[in-house]
Amino acid sequence: MNSLARRTLDRLYFASAIFGAGCIAAICFLMIWQSIGRQVGWTTGAVNDIVSWLCAAAAFFTMAHAFKNGDFVRVTLFLEKMSPARRRVFEVTSLFVAALAVGYLSFWACRFTWQSWEINELAQGLLPIPIWIPQLSFAAGSLLLLLAVLDELQIVLRGREPTFVRLVRERHAKGDFSADL
Amino acid sequence: MDILSIGALLLVLMLLLLGGGVWIAITLAICGWVGQAFFTNTQPGLNLFSSFWESNASWELAALPLFIWMGEILFRTRLSEEMFTGLAPWLSRVPGRLFHTTILGCGIFGSVSGSSAATCATIAKVSLPELKKRGYNESIALGSLATAGTLGILIPPSITMVVYAVAADASIIRIFLAGFLPGLLLMGLFSAYIAWWSIRNKALMPPPEPVLSFAEKIRLSKNLIPCALLIIFICWSLVAGWATATECAAYGVVGALSLALWSRSLTWENFQQGLMGSARTSCMIMFILAGAAFLTKTMAFTGIPRELAEWVNAMQLSPYALIGCLVVVYLVLGTALDGISMIVLTAAVVMPMVQKAGFDLVWFGIFVILLVEIAEVTPPVGFNLFVLQNMTGKDSNVIAKAAIPFFFCLVICIGLITVFPQIVTILPDLVMGKQK
Repeated sequence: MNSLARRTLDRLYFASAIFGAGCIAAICFLMIWQSIGRQVGWTTGAVNDIVSWLCAAAAFFTMAHAFKNGDFVRVTLFLEKMSPARRRVFEVTSLFVAALAVGYLSFWACRFTWQSWEINELAQGLLPIPIWIPQLSFAAGSLLLLLAVLDELQIVLRGREPTFVRLVRERHAKGDFSADL
Repeated sequence: MDILSIGALLLVLMLLLLGGGVWIAITLAICGWVGQAFFTNTQPGLNLFSSFWESNASWELAALPLFIWMGEILFRTRLSEEMFTGLAPWLSRVPGRLFHTTILGCGIFGSVSGSSAATCATIAKVSLPELKKRGYNESIALGSLATAGTLGILIPPSITMVVYAVAADASIIRIFLAGFLPGLLLMGLFSAYIAWWSIRNKALMPPPEPVLSFAEKIRLSKNLIPCALLIIFICWSLVAGWATATECAAYGVVGALSLALWSRSLTWENFQQGLMGSARTSCMIMFILAGAAFLTKTMAFTGIPRELAEWVNAMQLSPYALIGCLVVVYLVLGTALDGISMIVLTAAVVMPMVQKAGFDLVWFGIFVILLVEIAEVTPPVGFNLFVLQNMTGKDSNVIAKAAIPFFFCLVICIGLITVFPQIVTILPDLVMGKQK
């Protein structure tokens, strides 16, 4: 893969994650606005709906970046004991399984979001906007995650170390454990 | 195929996928899909969509990214460096003296940060060199840091507790309140062991620091006061019922941001890194929760948990024997999995069983969290051992050995809350009324 495509993809994952992070900041702002509003006597019921959509969007938009960054947890106990050649076989198999599963997930995410758009389904709750608008975060986020998984699969098939393994190793070598719970 | 064999088949599939290194959330979803596609008449595609959407688009879950963000902000301030200087002057007369900075530091830092690994790493970075310089026994310091680092998940507000509450469909605030007394009990046990050790090994203790005047002590720890106020404020608004957990978390973020501004450690770069870090961590957790929600649906359709609970019930185990078996299961899982995955993975199956045996789900939450703490300090993948190994260059087995006495403190704590469940339930019952 040439370096331009590489840079574009990485920027795409990161830009999407920035959007996800923005959703978290927005949740914080809205919750404070709501708790003040309750004291003053504004009706802020619809805020709860917006907050729950933002919460979903924060997770969905960040998936691709978090996956690349090695934040998604997996059992590495056995992988770490394998020889490099065998480990590569397992990494390829895992990525292949993940690609199938995420492909299935994004297919249904897109299909039902499309369906919500087609029948113009409205959100139940205090803010009756078309539900496909918040659901778009699910469709877009899962497609981007699929792209990231396929991206990693081609990296490993070319015989290189997966990005999510390399970045975790580099972080731990620097003594940075802030991403581990 | 009877229901229990389906369950066994799914379990084998899950263990194979997990062991092979497939991501935990994806493994959970695959097992859920296999269960639905082959053993029920439902539409797996529709259920997959609705469980991912409904589990993530949740107002209650919004507390999770906010609490994580609060911890990320405080983690990037100078709080941890000030912890040692601020705590040390108050401990000069206590037996065990500065050793207690590790316990108290981890307790305080752990309550604002939700991560055991981050708590252990930040407190160790400052305390270890200081203790070594003064000639304190390194083995005790390492052992107490490894174990006390796990206090982060027991002392509220804790991310692991939010995850448990969401998985068990329990009240977040109730679980937070339940964590206070066991957390204090555990800190007390750790400190008691340190005091006992230092009285027995007087010869190994370095000479005491000069005693400072009260004004001097206050001057040294004045930087800890805002952080203490933030913790008290969060706890108080929870206890007094002023705010919901999500609002509380939002105020925690604002408090943490102002604290960082006040201590002049809030740079644009820190702010960005903290926010991105919290986005990634909460995404990781929510992805697992979504996968588990899909599996939970499969469980509900197939009826495996009900069947299993009845099967266990038919064995006429005493409640304590059931708890004993669960301890073994969690300790085995803990050798390979992290705490959050362990809780989410077992929620759908274990909780009906526990409830049927007559245990309170809030109590069980604290119990599981203590087991997770044990898993973090036991080889082969005790994560805190790995953190300290990376920081000190010592072999993780050496650190595990140093942690053994503290490990027994954890075991005593688990024993105490099993025999006296009131330690866990009294505070939430007192504040929120008895649960129906």
